[in-house]
Amino acid sequence: MFIKANREAKPADWRTTVRSRVLVCATLLGLWTAAIEARLMYLQVFEHADLAARAERQQNRTVSPAAKRGDIVDRKGRLLAYSVDADTVAAVPSDIDDPNDVAAQICHALDECNAERRQAFVKKLSGRGSFAYVIRQISPEEARRVRALALPGITLLKESRRYYPNSELAAHVVGYVGLDNVGLGGIESAYDAQIRGSAGKLLIQTDNHNRAVFSRVERPATAGAGIELTIDQYLQFVAERELRTGVEANHAVGGSAIIMDPLTGEILALANWPTFNPNAFGRVEDDLRRNRAIQTLYEPGSTFKIVTASAAIEQKVITPETMIDTNPGSITFPGRKPIYDTHKYGVINFTDVIVKSSNVGAIKVGLRIGPERLTQYVSKFGFGQTLAPDFKGETAGIVWSADKLNDSALASVSMGYQVGVTALQMATAVSSIANGGHLLQPRVVRAFIKDGRRMEVAHKEMRRTIEPDTAATLTTIMEQVVERGTARAAQIEGYTIAGKTGTAAKLVNGHYQKSDYNASFVGFVPSRNPALTILVVIDSPHGNGYTGGAVSAPVFKRIAEAALTYMGVGPNLNPPPPVMVARHDPSVEQPITPTPAKAASLFASMLEPARDGLMPDLRGLSARDALRLLSRIGMSARLSGSGFVVDQRPQAGSPLVRGVACVLTLDRRGSTPALGGPQ
Amino acid sequence: MNAMDFEYAIKKDIRNNPIVREVDEARQRQLWRSVGIGLFLVIVLLFSAWQHFELLRHGYQIERMQQERAAEEEINRHLRLEVETLRAPRRIEKIATEQLHLVAPSRGQAIVIERVTPSAPPDTSVVAAR
Repeated sequence: MFIKANREAKPADWRTTVRSRVLVCATLLGLWTAAIEARLMYLQVFEHADLAARAERQQNRTVSPAAKRGDIVDRKGRLLAYSVDADTVAAVPSDIDDPNDVAAQICHALDECNAERRQAFVKKLSGRGSFAYVIRQISPEEARRVRALALPGITLLKESRRYYPNSELAAHVVGYVGLDNVGLGGIESAYDAQIRGSAGKLLIQTDNHNRAVFSRVERPATAGAGIELTIDQYLQFVAERELRTGVEANHAVGGSAIIMDPLTGEILALANWPTFNPNAFGRVEDDLRRNRAIQTLYEPGSTFKIVTASAAIEQKVITPETMIDTNPGSITFPGRKPIYDTHKYGVINFTDVIVKSSNVGAIKVGLRIGPERLTQYVSKFGFGQTLAPDFKGETAGIVWSADKLNDSALASVSMGYQVGVTALQMATAVSSIANGGHLLQPRVVRAFIKDGRRMEVAHKEMRRTIEPDTAATLTTIMEQVVERGTARAAQIEGYTIAGKTGTAAKLVNGHYQKSDYNASFVGFVPSRNPALTILVVIDSPHGNGYTGGAVSAPVFKRIAEAALTYMGVGPNLNPPPPVMVARHDPSVEQPITPTPAKAASLFASMLEPARDGLMPDLRGLSARDALRLLSRIGMSARLSGSGFVVDQRPQAGSPLVRGVACVLTLDRRGSTPALGGPQ
Repeated sequence: MNAMDFEYAIKKDIRNNPIVREVDEARQRQLWRSVGIGLFLVIVLLFSAWQHFELLRHGYQIERMQQERAAEEEINRHLRLEVETLRAPRRIEKIATEQLHLVAPSRGQAIVIERVTPSAPPDTSVVAAR
């Protein structure tokens, strides 16, 4: 019985034990699960907002892609200012153990680094902050060397940097940009709001390794507007080259040159010397960055007699033939020294007063005009006011009001003293004579380019200065200044030029200097159908001469010669039959393989028919070779199209009539007939 | 060993070999349906997982390609800058005069090629007056 009871109790025991243990485990498991659930609930419900925000911060990054500044190009689309990414060395100073060693290594990797700079690096790296710029916007080569060092706590960031591929070219016009991409001078500053653009916003989702998984553009970066200038890169180069040559040859302090289209007011070139490199603008003194042509006032001297002459002729005070007595070669006003002419001219007509630049004659005419009328014309021509909206810091100039002009002051103004003008004002005034009396707003911005659309800036006529007849009369007088007057050094064979020289003693501390002058020449060419107005002002020449005719007129001539050839403006005095070239639509041009060797070998044989008095066959030759061959046989040419000769008139084999222009039809589209083949 | 410890079991010889279990077709269908549903769920799960990982993979790929594109564009900008720097007239003139010893042509050696499309002429009245 006992055995049986024992046998029955045993299974119940282990079952109870197991059951109780299972119960304990289940309870623990349940508690554990409940704890987890509770924790999950706490995290997901009560802490949801905070944790979601933390996750958001960890997984999502917001970056602001910087907008690229708009390009600045010349009138033919050639780059003058451009932005590319540059590397900036940044540091986390708290991660750097030995700032001296790190600074020394970075210094070694840079092109230029002295002890002072290295010390500055040490100072930046010694802080305990979480971020510091070490050096900004270094060259790609320097960046490569710094990256190779793999220094702890040093990173390379990308920043947009402005570059000026032509260095000094048009530096004063284009301007320059600071490290923070803000325009600080020239067009960069004047149109900074348009050029700069606006930064975008980019959301990036990252993984646990901080790698970007997805990105979403919240707001795209808006690139700044591009600006097309009226400046022509080549003309600007020529103006700067010749101005520099003129300044250096005459041991002058500096100078300015302006080339302007008198029919539109567009500034084709604006050069100053000395100049600076906008890529390293911080290394030069402020004075070099000053745009002399619009910010420096000078007394124009005799070039201002153009204004006096305009007022006198327009108001019919005199005619070009009116005789004026300049004896005894000087004129005196109470309380000041006598004003002299360079030579004693005696009694001369008004044209000669301008041609010979007689101060006495101009003063006598000025006195006849009177202060009211003269100041009215001074104002009409744009003196004493800012003209160009494209330049910041343009100087208005100094002019007198009529009520303050006594005879002495009126005399000074009549010959271009006691007035302060800028080179730009003078070029604009003379352009108004060149174009028949329209004062056009001088512009340097030709168009804005935004989102692929080009918005042209309209030309603006400010006012009429003089009547067309007066302009024509003045032009005739100014032509004689160059033909037989003070500006013979400006003559260019084959072209009529209208101009005026000016030589004004510089006023320093209230006294006119006997050794420092402003020598200037302003003129337009060809005078009968003006294409260019050119002004040259040289500051304090100390070379072979100091007058506008000796110093500035030769510079004008060299600039004008190069510009006329470049612009294709032919001579207007006894012109040879012109070589005409039709502008071909580049979109339909398909280059064919030129045959220079073949053409060269046939060149001599082609002259054979000419010796017999027959027209050679020019088909298949390049335009250059055809022109060369025609010039050898005494013929001129008119060209139509571009490429190779595909047709000619007179036809090959016809009798040769020397002096007649041969009309050549050029084409690039492979239909060139076989050389010498049948027509 | 104590005799009391012995336990006796009566073994009854049961012969159930002839018994053939009848196939329950309803259960069979239910089974296959369950297997099918299970498979379907697994496939859906795998498909969605595949989609998720593909999305991630393409995300990385797109990001990498965008970075490559940005880098190529930047290289393009650098090259354009280099081209324009090399085209600078001052540099070209320096090479022409100092290295190649070229000289500027005199006026007699140069022909002015007039453009067929001239700039707008001045006022008719001015031209007439001249």
